[in-house]
Amino acid sequence: MSFVPGLFHWLCLSTILFSIGLYGVMTRRNAVGVLMSVELLLNSAAMNFLIFNHFAAKPFIDGAVMALFIIAVAAAEAVVAMALFVAIFRSRKTVDVTQIDTLKG
Amino acid sequence: MNELANNALANSFAFNNAWLIPALPFFSFLLVGLFIRPYSEKLAGIVATLSVSTSAALSLWLAFDYFSAFPAGAEHPALVSWSFQWLRYNEYLVVNVGTLIDSLSILLMVVVTFVSSLVHLYSIGYMKGEDGYGRYFTYLNLFTFSMLGLVVAPNILQTYIFWELVGVSSFLLIGFYYTKPSAVAASKKAFIVTRFADLFFLVGILLIAVVGYNLMSLFGVPNGLPENVSAFDFAFITNSGVSTMMNNFGILTPALILIFIGAAGKSALFPLHIWLPDAMEGPTPVSALIHAATMVVAGVYLVARLFVTFAASESALLVAAYLGAFTCIFAAIIACTQNDIKRVLAYSTLSQIGYMMFALGVASATETLGYTASLFHLFTHAFFKALLFLGAGAVIHSVHTNNIWNMGGLAKKMPITNITFLIATLAISGVWPFAGFFSKDEIIAAAFGNHHYVIFAIGLLVAGITAFYMFRIYIVTFLGKARSEAVDHAHEAPMTMTIPLMILAALTAVVGFIHFGDYVSVASIITGDATGHAEGGFPIWIPALLSGLTGIGIAWFMYGGEKDRATAVTEKLGVIYRVICAKFYIDEIYQFITHKIIIRFISTPIAWFDKRIVDGGVDLTGWLTRRSGATLSHLQTGQTQTYAAWLINGVIAVVVIIWLYAS
Amino acid sequence: MNPAELTHTIVFYGLALVSIVAALLVVTVKRIFRAAVALATVLVCGAGFYILLDYDFIAGIQLLVYVGGIVILIVFAVMLTSSLEDTEIRPSKSRKALGIISSLGFLATALIAFQSTSFPLSAPTPEQPSDVALEIGRKLLGYGSDGYVLPFEIISLLLLSAVIGAIVVARNPLKKSSDLSGQSEQSDGSAT
Repeated sequence: MSFVPGLFHWLCLSTILFSIGLYGVMTRRNAVGVLMSVELLLNSAAMNFLIFNHFAAKPFIDGAVMALFIIAVAAAEAVVAMALFVAIFRSRKTVDVTQIDTLKG
Repeated sequence: MNELANNALANSFAFNNAWLIPALPFFSFLLVGLFIRPYSEKLAGIVATLSVSTSAALSLWLAFDYFSAFPAGAEHPALVSWSFQWLRYNEYLVVNVGTLIDSLSILLMVVVTFVSSLVHLYSIGYMKGEDGYGRYFTYLNLFTFSMLGLVVAPNILQTYIFWELVGVSSFLLIGFYYTKPSAVAASKKAFIVTRFADLFFLVGILLIAVVGYNLMSLFGVPNGLPENVSAFDFAFITNSGVSTMMNNFGILTPALILIFIGAAGKSALFPLHIWLPDAMEGPTPVSALIHAATMVVAGVYLVARLFVTFAASESALLVAAYLGAFTCIFAAIIACTQNDIKRVLAYSTLSQIGYMMFALGVASATETLGYTASLFHLFTHAFFKALLFLGAGAVIHSVHTNNIWNMGGLAKKMPITNITFLIATLAISGVWPFAGFFSKDEIIAAAFGNHHYVIFAIGLLVAGITAFYMFRIYIVTFLGKARSEAVDHAHEAPMTMTIPLMILAALTAVVGFIHFGDYVSVASIITGDATGHAEGGFPIWIPALLSGLTGIGIAWFMYGGEKDRATAVTEKLGVIYRVICAKFYIDEIYQFITHKIIIRFISTPIAWFDKRIVDGGVDLTGWLTRRSGATLSHLQTGQTQTYAAWLINGVIAVVVIIWLYAS
Repeated sequence: MNPAELTHTIVFYGLALVSIVAALLVVTVKRIFRAAVALATVLVCGAGFYILLDYDFIAGIQLLVYVGGIVILIVFAVMLTSSLEDTEIRPSKSRKALGIISSLGFLATALIAFQSTSFPLSAPTPEQPSDVALEIGRKLLGYGSDGYVLPFEIISLLLLSAVIGAIVVARNPLKKSSDLSGQSEQSDGSAT
């Protein structure tokens, strides 16, 4: 197997980043930390679009357009999430997600 | 069919509106029960009585019109004056609700409405001041309606429906004093025993209907029947061609025996008689109604209605004959030992129903005297038995006890009751010129004429026993000295109670002279010959009357004098007396069978199975659901991160499963 | 291996190493502000990757929006909800184990899937559109079958509603209800 970065190497990279993000989503106690992990996920997803566009659909740039959309959605998500954290913090004095468990059965 | 007679009937109001006869008590039942009862108890009684009296008048009118159109001795066709289609299963299984008019149904209609209206009238006085006065009349109306619906039914399914209605309303009436545990037990007993028998009846109906349907779809409608005949119709079932064909297939006898079990349940034949003596727990007029004219004769009516079919199967008729004869003597013997005046009358009812049943049983397709005799006895018995019960009711009403040994010397205190009761006692004992003499005579003659000598002997013997026990209670109750203080305060019953007594006494004295065979007979259906008389070579009334007089003499000898000869006799009889006094321990045997055998070996395991396995299974499902819900609810931690972990693992699991299936 | 390819390879592995380490820091460091800095590092490395993939325009957008906007926003969020010195409590052992198992499971599954799939690769050196930014603009506002004008407009609406929604959620409640809810908040806070 060649060390020259091909499709598989790139996919490995993005998947590793994605898995790290997943780990963060599942373990971070601070809600802002969870948000950052989610940003990792989104980032690796955008990267995946570009990787496939680069290796499999070269003359077209639809993947790049998708990456743009993802960045826009990430921005919107970050805005809303920040507003929610501020509201939650105001009412609960904490943003520890393990203590926000009103969904408990 | 007679065109002229049809035209005469076509203009008859009573014939065209025969449905009013059962409908009036029904409307009155609704009116009284729903609207009048809450406001005026007194008005409830009056309206109920008036409606049934109107029915009685209508049925007398109908009888007059019918027998003017088809005079005595002529053919008496069965006509359906009014009907509508109620259920339609298919071409040959149709249930029409309607009114069937023939001499049998007219006879029953007259008897039922007449006795019922007198009982209503009597009850106005008897029930005065009782709790539930209005409720009582509501039930009485319902009962009358059910019985009338039963007798006018043109098909066996309508009969069955009203048959069950009779059961329900008798349940309501017997359990009228529902605060008394014994009354509740008695009503349950009556309902369960008759219901048990009705189950067989229903199976019999279905058997006949299914076979009848198959016959018609194979061979078409039998000759002489209209095209739209249904397998439920009596016209179809009693068609002699149909009965013969069913007999050839071998299903006639079983079906008829099943139906006969139903009839035996309602008519309280041995061994299903146990409910009747207990049914005395109801108010006395109810006993009069149930025993004299309505419920218990329903079984006799049913067998009479299906007589042609029964005649096609010899064994079914023989069952009726011997069961009837056995019940007849069995109940008569018990009646001799009972001290409760109503119980004696109850056992005498059993005995008389036995007479009617064996009279039907000894009749055959060619010798139909028994049929006429049975219905004649039904007719006369209705009057004198109603009279006996109402008289007993008047006595109980004034001395407030049922025990004859607490009465005595009532003749002077209650002259009208005394005389009317005496007339009824003479009638049931078969003394000329009262009604019972003629009908009982005819029954015994029929048994003799058809060479059923054992039954003939039983009939003759029971005539004597009947006279004995009836005079026993008459003498003890009305003659001699007063045996308790209550008698001193006794007084004659009010007018509303004595008028029915007098009317019934007058009828009891005269109805025997009706030449009954000319009006109600089955001969015309089979042979076209209405004179089915079999006199047997010598005047049969001589031994019958002698038997009755002997019974009266013995009763007089034992109870009439100052000396207490009865005690000596009972002491001599010893064990036998005790067994009879305990009604042959039939109730105890049932108790043993139901409690020790059925409950222990059948009901208890079934109950266990039901509780543990069936209920347990249901409970287990509920328990499992609740437990698993409680367990799984712990997974619902409210920790979104845990949910995310499950989500990821779920996705991985799905991918792995897809791989496994794809490879 | 020609020098250009060698450079390309070295840069790739170097950036990958940096970004993976930074990503691990993002999800593990106790101080949330340091995590934010690590996130910025990952995103900058991401821009580098895009340049490696010949998407210079997207890399620029990444720097502008992600690093310049979102990371700043996150820093604001950190500051609004906790002080810079705040340290996070470690996650419980079981939670950690669950996270490791799940993420490693996902990684393994995904890698096996990539390994066993043959993607239809395009020709080794196909021509790239001369001006990617121009082409993207044409695509975004194109009406044709390959145009993205409708998603573009929807994204605009999404951004607008996100902004309005954020204001509504984050603003102080009205004076009157704030008194009432203030009390309940107080009790909530003491309960938790």
